[in-house]
Amino acid sequence: MAMPQISVADQAKLQLMQEMEIEMMSDLYNRMTNACHKKCIPPRYGESELGKGEMVCIDRCVAKYLDIHEKIGKKLTAMSMQDEELIKKMSS
Amino acid sequence: MSVMPNIDPKAGEAAKPRVLDPAELDRMAMHFVGNLNRYRENIVIPKSNGPVQIKTNEEKLIETAVESCAFKSAMACVMGYGLGAALGLFSASVNPNMADPFANEKKQTAREVFREMRSTTHSYAKNFALIGAVFSIVECTIESKRGVTDWRNGTYAGGITGGLIGLRAGIKAGIIGGLGFAAFSSAIDYYMHMR
Repeated sequence: MAMPQISVADQAKLQLMQEMEIEMMSDLYNRMTNACHKKCIPPRYGESELGKGEMVCIDRCVAKYLDIHEKIGKKLTAMSMQDEELIKKMSS
Repeated sequence: MSVMPNIDPKAGEAAKPRVLDPAELDRMAMHFVGNLNRYRENIVIPKSNGPVQIKTNEEKLIETAVESCAFKSAMACVMGYGLGAALGLFSASVNPNMADPFANEKKQTAREVFREMRSTTHSYAKNFALIGAVFSIVECTIESKRGVTDWRNGTYAGGITGGLIGLRAGIKAGIIGGLGFAAFSSAIDYYMHMR
C-alpha cells in the first residue's frame, strides 16, 4: 500500500489510531469471553465438547454483548461530544 | 485524553508532534464503536490461552447443519428404526405364531413366516423410530430454549414423550407413562455420563 501524500504526522496519527483500535478490539474480546464464560458455562463439567444449550447460550451472550457495547459506546460518545460543545460555548 | 505520538521532534516542520484533541477522539470513538463489520482477514484474537484456530466458512456451515435440531432428530429417527428393527426381529423369532388362528392350513411355508417376521419387525421399528424422533426433537427444543446443558433436559423431554405416548390410552396412562419415561431417560443419561 503506497502512501505518497500522507505526511509523517498523519502517518503517526494513523498508526496511533490503528494501535488504539487493536487495543480496543482485544480488550473487548477478552472481556466478552470472560463474561460469557462466567454466565454460560457451569463451573463443573465432565466433557470438553460444548453442549447444545451452552452453544445457544454463548451465541446469545455474544450477540447481546456486542449490541450493548455498540449502543452504550455511541451514547457515551454522544454525551461526551455534547459536553465538549457546551464547554466550548461557555468558554468562548 | 490527549496523547502525544512518539516522533523525533528534531525533524522538519512537517513532523511536528500532533495532539489528538477531544473532538477527534470522539469521532474516532464513533468510528470504532459503530463499525463492527470487519473483514475476516483482519481478525485479531489474542493467543492468551492456547492456539487460535479460525474455522473456515464451509466448516461453520457443516457444523450448523449437523448440530441443528432437525438433523439430530433425523439421526435419532434412523437409529431408532435400526434398533427397533433388531428388537422386532428378535421378538418375531421368539413369538412365531402371530398369525390368525383360523388360517392354519393356509400357508405354513417359510414365505409366510418371513412375511410375518417382516411385518412385526417393521411395526416395532416404526414405533421406536417415532419415539426416538419425538424425544430428540423435544429435548433439543427444550435445551435450545433454556440455554443450559444439564440433566434436566432429558428428564423433561422424557416426561413429555412418555405423556404423548400414554395419552392414547387415557389421561392416567399418560401421566404414568410420562413419569416412567422421564425416570428411564434420567437413568440412561446418568449411566452415559458416569462412564
